[in-house]
Amino acid sequence: MKIRSPQDFWSGVVFIALALVFIVLAQQYRFGTMHRMGPALFPTLVGVLLAGLGAIIAARAFVLDGLPVPRFHARPLIVSLVAIVLFGLALQYLGLAAAVVVLVLTGAYAGREVRPIETLVLAAFLAVFSIAVFVWLLGLPLPVWPV
Amino acid sequence: METLSNLLFGLGVALGWQNVLYCFVGCFLGTLVGVLPGIGPVATVAMLLPFTFGLGPAPALIMLAGIYYGAQYGGSTTAILVNIPGESSSVVTTLDGHQMARRGRAGPALGIAAIGSFIAGCVATLVIAYFAPPLAELALKFSPSEYFSLMVFGLVAAVVLARGSLIKAIAMVCLGILLGLIGTDVNSGAIRFAFGQLELGDGLGFVAIAMAFFGITDVIINLEQEGKQEVFASRIGSVLPTGEDLRVCFWSIARGTGLGSILGILPGGGALLASFAAYMVEKKIAKPPRTFGEGDIRGVAAPESANNAGAQTSFIPMLTLGIPSNPTMALMIGALMIQGIAPGPQVMTERPELFWGLIASMWIGNVMLLVLNLPLVGLWIRLLAVPYRLLFPAIFVFCCIGVYTVDNKIFDVYQLAVLSALGYMLLKLDCEPAPLILGFILGPMMEENLRRAMMISFGDPTVFLTRPISAAFLLAAVGLLVAIAAPAMRAKREEALKE
Repeated sequence: MKIRSPQDFWSGVVFIALALVFIVLAQQYRFGTMHRMGPALFPTLVGVLLAGLGAIIAARAFVLDGLPVPRFHARPLIVSLVAIVLFGLALQYLGLAAAVVVLVLTGAYAGREVRPIETLVLAAFLAVFSIAVFVWLLGLPLPVWPV
Repeated sequence: METLSNLLFGLGVALGWQNVLYCFVGCFLGTLVGVLPGIGPVATVAMLLPFTFGLGPAPALIMLAGIYYGAQYGGSTTAILVNIPGESSSVVTTLDGHQMARRGRAGPALGIAAIGSFIAGCVATLVIAYFAPPLAELALKFSPSEYFSLMVFGLVAAVVLARGSLIKAIAMVCLGILLGLIGTDVNSGAIRFAFGQLELGDGLGFVAIAMAFFGITDVIINLEQEGKQEVFASRIGSVLPTGEDLRVCFWSIARGTGLGSILGILPGGGALLASFAAYMVEKKIAKPPRTFGEGDIRGVAAPESANNAGAQTSFIPMLTLGIPSNPTMALMIGALMIQGIAPGPQVMTERPELFWGLIASMWIGNVMLLVLNLPLVGLWIRLLAVPYRLLFPAIFVFCCIGVYTVDNKIFDVYQLAVLSALGYMLLKLDCEPAPLILGFILGPMMEENLRRAMMISFGDPTVFLTRPISAAFLLAAVGLLVAIAAPAMRAKREEALKE
């Protein structure tokens, strides 16, 4: 047996895996009856449906020709996610001004070319802009400085 | 007559100076962000959502609607000048619009797009005013079983009309429903699928999902394939189309408006489908058969009218049934919930000022778009010159701040990161995010209606087939699936979506 459509095959696998997580976790709640549905019933129903669809998608990949999975580019993905997480940490402990600067300085490395001075200027501009718009103009309760 | 007096009442609400201001701000910001290449209307609405938190429900919705059609129009500007559609519904505009720009006729292309959108918007507003109330009245009579079947039908229809593999799209709907069930179950109080995280008790944030799947993920994919852009910024000239242009385009605009208004109402319809259909129809029946694809102005007028009409009439199922037909409408429903309003047919009777004010504001918004876009084209063009390396960190900033300000929880920022990773993986596997968002919004409502229906019927599932309206919805859903799965239809659908 040869996988003729890797993209479909792996989507099927992902769907099955996620469905199983939900089905298994759902079993700790009360199932109830059709008349009085418990919290486990509907998720189990949808989970089984998803797993079934995943199985069909994966099985079909052995029959129908399809595309390979495109290459995962590690750098933009990982740098972006790290930048977002750092923003969260910085916002909690250092306030909005520092968080925006951290986010821009880190996030810029998700791109191909980084111009350090330009990025610094951009970070400063966006920090001032965000504080002006979100805190002063819109009055949203964001901590601006370290607490 | 009643419609007229309702519209006048709505106009009274919408013309309050505050609402006019928010409508203007919405249109302006929407166009501003929409013009930027690589940011679609869903991401635009999601990023600008925090701007409406401090407002009441009516001004908030009026502003969001303004943002939506502003973004829609801004996308067309990008399509014509840069050949990169700012969003999928202006893909067809690039065909003839960019060719016009290459021949030095960028001005008239932008002008006819604005004029066509304006006419279409005005007509679509009337369509909403006439069709929404009877639909809402009908929906008020629905029992839970009918509502459940309607949602099944809505989801199936949305999926059938979406791009890509049908079965994957249905799987994405299911995944969306499951993600929507995370959090506290309203009936039993059980906190489901929270992985021991107390913060997940309120469920996943829909803003986080929308931003992850349509904002951050898009940036990451764009960064992988950064390419050269061709901007035709230097030679715009007059944006006013000639009398000849207007004469040629008259019927194209009329056809685009009609088609767009109808297709927008369908679940899964809206701007994207409308613009594709309008372009294809135009290519078939426009006379004299000039050369489409080489800068025919009708190839801009028809899809631009259609996508604006479709964008507006897609408010009908959202306002009257509480059912989103596309991801942007899902965001609107989310915005309503943030404002503490349960979406559904009761909105029209319980909050008439919201309902009619929003509809009337669409008129005002369309006037604003016209006066905003024609003179300000120069400003928008300068925005296009902003390189992506400056743009994408700004998108990060707006997404992160936006997601935090929904509930002021740091946890939501981490959610954004995790969901972005999920979105990236799914996109790489060629799974479209739109069905997932619809499932996410409808999931909890489906469960609740299913539970109530089963309660009433003493656990007898045949109730869905014995009640005629419910049976009709389910039958229609099955019919759609069968029709699409049939080989002949499938070939047609693929051909139509490819073009």
